[in-house]
Amino acid sequence: MIDVMIYIHIPFCDSKCLYCNFVSGIYDEYLKKQYFKKINEEIKFNANIDYHITSIYIGGGTPSSVDSKYILEILKNIFELYYVDKNAEITIETNPASLTSDKLLDYKRGKINRLSIGVQSLNNKCLKVIGRKHTKKMALKAITLAQKYGFHNINTDVLIGIPKQNFFVLKSTIKRLVKAKVTHISAYMLINEPNTPLTNMIESQKVKVVDEDKCVKYYNKIVMFLKKRDFKRYEVSNFAKNNYECKHNIGYWQCENYLGFGVSSHSYLLGERYYNTSNIKEYLQSDFVYNKNKLSVNEKIEEFIMLGLRTKYGINIEKLKKLGYDVLSRKKQEIVMLVKNGFIKISNGCLVVCEDKFGVLNQIILKLLP
Amino acid sequence: MTEKLKNIRNFCIIAHIDHGKSTLADRLIEKTGTVSTRDMSDQILDSMELERERGITIKLTPTRMFYNYNGEEYILNLIDTPGHVDFTYEVSRSLAACEGAILIVDASQGVEAQTIANTYLAVDNNLEILPVINKIDLPSADVVKCRKEIEDVLGIYAEDCPAISAKDGINIDDVLNQIIERIPAPKGEENAPLKALIFDSLYDNFKGAICFVRVFDGFVKAGDKIKMMKVGKTYEVTEVGVFTPKMKPTDTLYCGDVGYICASIKNLSDTKVGDTITNADNPTAEPLPGYKDVQPVVFSGIFPVDGAKYQELKDALEKLKLNDASLKFSPETSIALGFGFRCGFLGLLHMEIITERLEREFNLDIITTAPSVSYNVYKTNGEVIEVSNPSMLPPPAEIERIEEPMIKLDVYTPPNYVGAVMELCQDKRGEFIDMQYIEKTRVVLKYHMPLAEMIYDFFDSLKSRTKGYASLDYDVYGFAPSELVRLDILLNGEPCDALSMIIHKDKAYGRGRQIAEKLKKIIPRQLFEIPIQACIGGKVIARETVSAMRKDVLAKCYGGDISRKRKLLEKQKAGKKRMRQFGSVELPAETFISILKTDDND
Repeated sequence: MIDVMIYIHIPFCDSKCLYCNFVSGIYDEYLKKQYFKKINEEIKFNANIDYHITSIYIGGGTPSSVDSKYILEILKNIFELYYVDKNAEITIETNPASLTSDKLLDYKRGKINRLSIGVQSLNNKCLKVIGRKHTKKMALKAITLAQKYGFHNINTDVLIGIPKQNFFVLKSTIKRLVKAKVTHISAYMLINEPNTPLTNMIESQKVKVVDEDKCVKYYNKIVMFLKKRDFKRYEVSNFAKNNYECKHNIGYWQCENYLGFGVSSHSYLLGERYYNTSNIKEYLQSDFVYNKNKLSVNEKIEEFIMLGLRTKYGINIEKLKKLGYDVLSRKKQEIVMLVKNGFIKISNGCLVVCEDKFGVLNQIILKLLP
Repeated sequence: MTEKLKNIRNFCIIAHIDHGKSTLADRLIEKTGTVSTRDMSDQILDSMELERERGITIKLTPTRMFYNYNGEEYILNLIDTPGHVDFTYEVSRSLAACEGAILIVDASQGVEAQTIANTYLAVDNNLEILPVINKIDLPSADVVKCRKEIEDVLGIYAEDCPAISAKDGINIDDVLNQIIERIPAPKGEENAPLKALIFDSLYDNFKGAICFVRVFDGFVKAGDKIKMMKVGKTYEVTEVGVFTPKMKPTDTLYCGDVGYICASIKNLSDTKVGDTITNADNPTAEPLPGYKDVQPVVFSGIFPVDGAKYQELKDALEKLKLNDASLKFSPETSIALGFGFRCGFLGLLHMEIITERLEREFNLDIITTAPSVSYNVYKTNGEVIEVSNPSMLPPPAEIERIEEPMIKLDVYTPPNYVGAVMELCQDKRGEFIDMQYIEKTRVVLKYHMPLAEMIYDFFDSLKSRTKGYASLDYDVYGFAPSELVRLDILLNGEPCDALSMIIHKDKAYGRGRQIAEKLKKIIPRQLFEIPIQACIGGKVIARETVSAMRKDVLAKCYGGDISRKRKLLEKQKAGKKRMRQFGSVELPAETFISILKTDDND
């Protein structure tokens, strides 16, 4: 029996946000029906009762935008065909605009025990500029409604660096979320991906981008603010109260096995990485013959470092040694320098990035790679 | 015996750069049927890729041609020469192996700086000079004026000199006929002991070091025991031959001949250009005068980007040296750049060419430090040392005075740029000596100037201020005391030896500021703030700061898509490979040469 996580990709949205460049969009009901038929086939195709499922994550897109019967069917199939741990963390991503009592009831019936709500901001001007279809009021209502239906493990996504967002606006959003008793906050810096409407607007100077140095300053202040309220930064962009860390998320960084189902989803199983097409039409024709790529020892070492350093648990020095890389002796000079200057610390046999230094993680990683 | 010598002509071609030397050489080769038309490529003597690309000749390449004149067959040995001022040394090597020189003058440009310099060299070597006016096909050609200029400026009779177009192959026979009529046949004693001058050498992986020789007395053939008179080593000859222009073995090389000798010479340094080869058992009494050992004037550190490639760089330099006796190098260790070499060059172009050849022909990634000259430092304890590496300059308290190499500079320019040229020369600490009108449209300005000023973009500035019309010639004539200081650059508080320079006190402040600003632009943001300081003797004269990197992280991981992160990291990793670690600071390889380009350009 091996531990495996499952990721389900739902590429559907009610509307496309102006900053989004992911595989997601607005499709008709017929295509949705076909898609769910296909994804259930994929779930069946890969079924293996030896897989011990430790977490399920339904992401997108906007999974809450589709009829909850589809979600229930997927979960039912997984429970039937795989061995799902009774304490498995089961998350669904939702949008305040489409989260209703009925859906929450269905999610509960489907054994979903964690909600991720795409709040992004609690400032209506900010929400508008990035094309979100909900308001501050709707977002707060979604949180209380979820709590009413027994969901207490709630994440909210927050964006930093939205045009028109100053620190005061950002801080009041975070403050209000803490007050609403969410247990987890994911805070991302807005990335202006090429060819999104927002980037085009910035390029044609219709909206003003927030200066990167300023964003970093905001971010560091938010880290301190959350720390005082018992939200610990356990990963680059993720903050949680004790015992509310997202297991699924941590699993990615600790090189756990995971199966991805649906268009553009990625899998990592027994040292092999593979992924589905990111074209939905192609996915519907797929015969699930994956193009698997076995990681070399060196790649494994690199990923172990690059992913492990993202979390507050860091990288286990002994484990790394077993993979064939004695980082302490090979990178002695670099480690001494990084420790001396407060970029990393060594605790419990692990190399850990200091809380306030996640912002330059890549540079730290580059110093430690073989 | 004299019969044999009577029908040999050894000559070279000299000219100002771009006056058509290589083109004429090609025409002569073609006309004498030395190379079949099928094998003709443009400028066949420019064998280096770099030479063809830039349209310049760097290495001299000998060629043997046959020409029938008045029913008699003549052997014509041509030694091609480079035209750029940096390669005067190579020219003098060619000259020593010849009895005559064809002097090419561009019919539209007239006598230029290098024409004069090379003519004097040829006269010094007692060569018969044969002027040829080239490019008569150009609409702006003025043959009459050109003849007059040759007579007035150079003092060479030019009334009946051939007027040709090498490009179009016009009047090439005139040139061949004059070579035979006017250039003297070589003299020499076939029965005397061997006396041959090494004028160049080449390394071949199979045959070892090959000597290019001109035999003055005696003869040499395979099996002979020979001795290098200066080096003092003896070898057994394995092969002798001539240049067709490809190397072709023959039985014997006789006096008067130009050819090559192979003798399984393993050690590159044993084929000293200018040395005399003689019989080991029956040596000649006096070696040939050879020619003066050339002194490099520009020095620079060359280091491998990848420190592990030190040995490869060493091998490459040794191979280049075999073909380029003027290249000097010795090991150097730098705190910032690790192990490398301090190299001496004839000039900036020479330096550029060597570095380019290292990169192209040997596929090496190298870092070059800003060029420097060699200073004479008089210490308070009476010692005198030569310093060509700024980091080797003793502390100011131990220095009594420093003298720097000075040049006599001649700038040739149309009169309307005299003001601009004078301003530039003044700015470069030049001392005005004289100004003469060569003719109505050409002026020569004479200056004494520190060589150090010359090597910093003087040539580029001159060209840009005179729209390319001015040309120059210079000669190092001696040393003069000067108020010089060492400008150090500190990165993160540590002096970076590879960025130090010796500079005139009055210029140090300005340059220090420029360099600090420049470095700020070049050095990428890193984990720490990096202070950049320009210092003279511990006193900070300029300061800039590269602020610490604020953000370099990949945020989200959508549905376990690790490959996206990997790709970005791979890219960053590759970028790091080209960086030099200096303490905790990472420096891009181009940092070290960029400080050169701080004058007018920014």
